[in-house]
Amino acid sequence: MNLKIFRGFAVAAVVSVGAAGSAAAAECIAPANPGGGWDFTCRTIGKIMHDIGVVDQPIQVTNMAGGGGGLAFSHVVTKRDDDPELIVAASSATATRLAQNAYGGLTADQVRFLGAIGVDPGVIAVAADSPHMSLNDLLDAVVADPASVTFAGGSAVGGFDHLKVLMALNRAGLTDIRTVKYIGVDGGADAITQTIGGHTQAMTGDISEVVGFLKAGEIRVLAVFADERVPGFEDIPTAREQGIDVVAGNWRGLYVPKGISDEDYMKWSNALQAVADSDAWAEAMAARGLAPFNKVGDDFQNYVNAVVAEIEQMSREIGVIQ
Amino acid sequence: MLTNDSPGPERPGKFLARRSDRIFGAIMIAIALFYIWSASQTQVSFLSDPVGSKTFPYIVGAVSILCALIFILRPDPDPPWPRLATSAKIAFAVVVLIGFAVSLEPLGFIIPAAVASSLISYQISPKPFNAMAAGVGLSVVLFAIFRYALGLGLAPFGRALVG
Amino acid sequence: MAILIPLAFSFGLDATQALVLMTSVYYGAMYGGRISSILLNIPGDEPALMTTLDGYPMAKQGRAADALVLSGVASFVGALLATIGLMLMAPILAKVAYLFGPPEYFALYLLAFCTLGGVSAKNQAKAAIASMIGLGIAMIGLDNQTGMPRLTFGDLHLMDGIDFLVAIVGLFAVTEIFVFIESHGKESAIGVKLGKIKVPFKDIAHSFFAMLRSTVIGFVAGVLPGAGASLGSFLAYMSEKSIARDKDTFGTGNPRGVAAPEAGNNAAAGGALVPMLTLGVPGSGTTAVLLALLLTLNITPGPLLFDERPEVVWGLIAALLIANFVLLIMNVPLVRLFVKILSVPAWLLLPGITMISFAGIYSLSGSSFDLLLMTAFGLLGYFMRKLDVPTVPIILGILLGKNMEDSLRRAMVISDGDWTYLFSSGISIGLWIAAVAGFIAPMFLRNLLRKPTRPQS
Repeated sequence: MNLKIFRGFAVAAVVSVGAAGSAAAAECIAPANPGGGWDFTCRTIGKIMHDIGVVDQPIQVTNMAGGGGGLAFSHVVTKRDDDPELIVAASSATATRLAQNAYGGLTADQVRFLGAIGVDPGVIAVAADSPHMSLNDLLDAVVADPASVTFAGGSAVGGFDHLKVLMALNRAGLTDIRTVKYIGVDGGADAITQTIGGHTQAMTGDISEVVGFLKAGEIRVLAVFADERVPGFEDIPTAREQGIDVVAGNWRGLYVPKGISDEDYMKWSNALQAVADSDAWAEAMAARGLAPFNKVGDDFQNYVNAVVAEIEQMSREIGVIQ
Repeated sequence: MLTNDSPGPERPGKFLARRSDRIFGAIMIAIALFYIWSASQTQVSFLSDPVGSKTFPYIVGAVSILCALIFILRPDPDPPWPRLATSAKIAFAVVVLIGFAVSLEPLGFIIPAAVASSLISYQISPKPFNAMAAGVGLSVVLFAIFRYALGLGLAPFGRALVG
Repeated sequence: MAILIPLAFSFGLDATQALVLMTSVYYGAMYGGRISSILLNIPGDEPALMTTLDGYPMAKQGRAADALVLSGVASFVGALLATIGLMLMAPILAKVAYLFGPPEYFALYLLAFCTLGGVSAKNQAKAAIASMIGLGIAMIGLDNQTGMPRLTFGDLHLMDGIDFLVAIVGLFAVTEIFVFIESHGKESAIGVKLGKIKVPFKDIAHSFFAMLRSTVIGFVAGVLPGAGASLGSFLAYMSEKSIARDKDTFGTGNPRGVAAPEAGNNAAAGGALVPMLTLGVPGSGTTAVLLALLLTLNITPGPLLFDERPEVVWGLIAALLIANFVLLIMNVPLVRLFVKILSVPAWLLLPGITMISFAGIYSLSGSSFDLLLMTAFGLLGYFMRKLDVPTVPIILGILLGKNMEDSLRRAMVISDGDWTYLFSSGISIGLWIAAVAGFIAPMFLRNLLRKPTRPQS
């Protein structure tokens, strides 16, 4: 290990110390290991904030994996409650876990949600050679014989990817959700691989995860869970068009500690809004397959509160939590 | 910690010979039983799969008990255990590492690292000057490398010191 | 781990530069992980774990330089052939990943665990209990299939399970401190008199076919997204050992025991780029970071990457080839430098390793909890070393345990609890046969044959 660090040091030295922040740099906590959506949020938003000059110092990204974001959440609530130089990446997964009380009793009102500036709409896809041609085909098949279809998704049982399927099936008239077969695999791409390989019959995930496979013609996307068709993917019908009234997207956003002053909160929300309006962000969104979604400040706080309440009610209704 | 001051070859016929493996086996059985009990306390979602969350931990516990029984019934010869003084040194090193681990957050990197590496250095080779030099040198140099070259988020002095 | 660090710096570069830097570091890390394995018995990363088994004994015999040069050549062979494999066959190989569903992965992990009996030559029960400790640790955390915490005792730190890095650093680096204090350095390679540094042509020639065989095994393991480099180096070592005539010298400094896992893990590193580039599925933690980098550069890996962004793919392959040759050329001169580490006095070197381990783990998780855990692993490793319980199976259990459980449970969800589904494809049947015929049966046969003469203890 030591030698590897020194090797890293050598490489770093060659690249020159451009980004190593000094004392007062703000920090963005990505509550997961590098490589996921939260990491992307911190790194991309942090970089753009510095590039467009709304912060003086490059934002230092800290990865704090644990408890599906719960460790970072409790760290912020218990230890950093008044730190004005701290932002934390969040997404629908954060809201889902808060709604399902998966953060050991901590609740959404113990931090301040800052804003979300992009959304990754949910999709349901099948392999290109699947007999299911539309969302209704698939859902009807499950309602008729739940054992005939296994869904694969990137989240654990009860997580956001699973909930999307259950909500859709609920609308399609399935009563006993325990009969639905779902396996949680390691991310959306893995779920697609399993589905193309014929091991599972359908995948549930986000639109950004299916882009490459869709263009390659290996999968068919049956529905997108958005209000209206997503720009750039106009041939994919929404679930709502097919009579299944489910809208579910994975928004990318941030929260800050509860105890900071309103001025600091304003400072961060202005900075986030500036990122949302930048060309660099538009470019990053297009590359990631994110759809526009812009709620910053109190507007967003209200939105999160509503979402948490909704997911809690939904989870209770379909029985994911008691 | 076990001590055995005559680490030579095993003396056959002695009743307690080969006790290391037996003690290890007994401890493992205790741990395995606790593990199985903890697994049985797992909250089960009513959305469970055919195998369930408990099967694997049960298998792991059961196989461990089986292996542990083999150690008890057919133990290997005892390894040479260190003398009491050496054991105490190792125990002291453990305490130093624990102290380092818990002080890193409140006190920052530099001071705990200097103290811990001096003490460990002293355990390895009891020369006070070398130990002090190793401690101070390592803590400052490594901090500089970690913080400024690699950009890791280490605090030099913790919140408790700087406020 | 080192691969995470330059990520912070790469934002100032354009796409191709950043990618070339990252992939070079990626190969460099695979290449470099062996160095501390051989010199200090501390794996630089998880795939270099197997290299400690024969590399460190070689260092203790004063053959550290030979081991370093040999493993460098093995790494080169593995990485070069894997890069060529990636170049020629990536789009076809991507289809292999489609063939592996839960039952096939389960059989693959089973095969890995069945080979474990061979890690410890003397007492199979000790290898078995070590893998059970690893599997037991792997079960801690959120259960992927139900989303419920398991064996966490309500502690948030344990929700995501115990990081294998904490276990590796504890069981190897921290344990080394305790062992050193006890033995006053007699059981260490630190301070061992070194022979003259030259290229060990004889060892290279002797282990050349071992390298080729291991490259194939490693590459295939790398291509499968669920397996990765650790499994590649592990299977390469174990299969080389099982076909060797001089089995007993494995673990005591057999050069083939150094060449095989190094060729295997570097080949697997190249293989792991196949699913990463063509499917967007990262096979390991390091490829996950590469994937993240590609995404932040607005390059989305997937089935069309080879057609849509050929300049990226071919730039990357060219970088890999160049990095590979540079690393080979640097090998011999750097060995001179690296072996000097063994002449650093222990009173400076060991505290230094401790501080680096602690700071490294702390900067990953930011909690002292992992540091305490690491110290506990160090103590566990010390007792296990005393009792002659191998530590490699613990790490393997932690690395693969959860995957193994998940694939079995996924298979059972798909089949509604029908066990015959586990044997429903040619691939899974083949893997089961390899596991049983190749490793379990010989273990019993060997015991039967040995019974009359009762091996001396």
